[in-house]
Amino acid sequence: MVKTGESSARSGDESSLIKRLQAGEQAAFDEAVRAYTPSMLLVARFYLDPASAEDAVQEVWIKVVQAIQSFEGRASLKTWLHRIVANQAKDGLRKAGREIAMDFSEPLEPALDSRFRTRGTWSEPPRLKTTESAEQWLESGALKACLDKHLTALPEQHRSALMLYEAHQHKSEDVCNILGVSASNLRVILHRARQRIFLMVETFRETGKC
Amino acid sequence: MLMCRDLAVVASDYIDGELSPGQRLSVKVHLMMCRHCRALVNNLRNSATVLQKHSSQQVNEDYFRRVKLNIAQALQDSRDKNS
Repeated sequence: MVKTGESSARSGDESSLIKRLQAGEQAAFDEAVRAYTPSMLLVARFYLDPASAEDAVQEVWIKVVQAIQSFEGRASLKTWLHRIVANQAKDGLRKAGREIAMDFSEPLEPALDSRFRTRGTWSEPPRLKTTESAEQWLESGALKACLDKHLTALPEQHRSALMLYEAHQHKSEDVCNILGVSASNLRVILHRARQRIFLMVETFRETGKC
Repeated sequence: MLMCRDLAVVASDYIDGELSPGQRLSVKVHLMMCRHCRALVNNLRNSATVLQKHSSQQVNEDYFRRVKLNIAQALQDSRDKNS
């Protein structure tokens, strides 16, 4: 999977949006709020409970009204906004005296790991067809609903990191910088989430159950 | 020699191009010989695509409205200060 460089390849649309934000244009802020708020909430929810995360993002947007004047464009607008949210949320965390504990040392989901013999060969190999595409998986509304359920069940911090990388297409070093996770922890989060999805689809295809 | 479990451990790193050339070669050789591991890699690749396409966050309209109102107020305050 190749991620596009955000800082080096700013689109014309983004440059024009930044100029309009710096000019204090209300419509530009409306556009930016709609485009960036979902991923900003993901960053905030990595550190805070949902209600505090919403408050933090709201406060960040008010700060951005002034701070956008000093935006120098060294990172993409999205990365810049995410860094401000992370700092704001970390402040909130310090005030509340909470700490984030993250340690993911096991690279395999237990349900997958148990499918290998002790010498490392498969005892229960994958049963899904290798010819199926992701699009075929997504054709089923029931399977999509099952995916939603499984993603909702992920720990909040895993979901934030995962979605910033996969759905919002952040580069891994940006996700690590913004959320303060190590590259190896991020790799494990991504890998285990993909395993969970694979195991879920396999079960769903065989039993029709989520 | 790379065993199937070893391959499962590094499968996402392989998919994302995060392995060294030597590790990548070992994985490719193993995949040529093992259809089960080919199935695993294909399925994990599909999982990554599914996650990329997933709309991750539903934000309710009321929240958007509140944020926009606050921004409008902040913009007005800023204009008042500068005038």
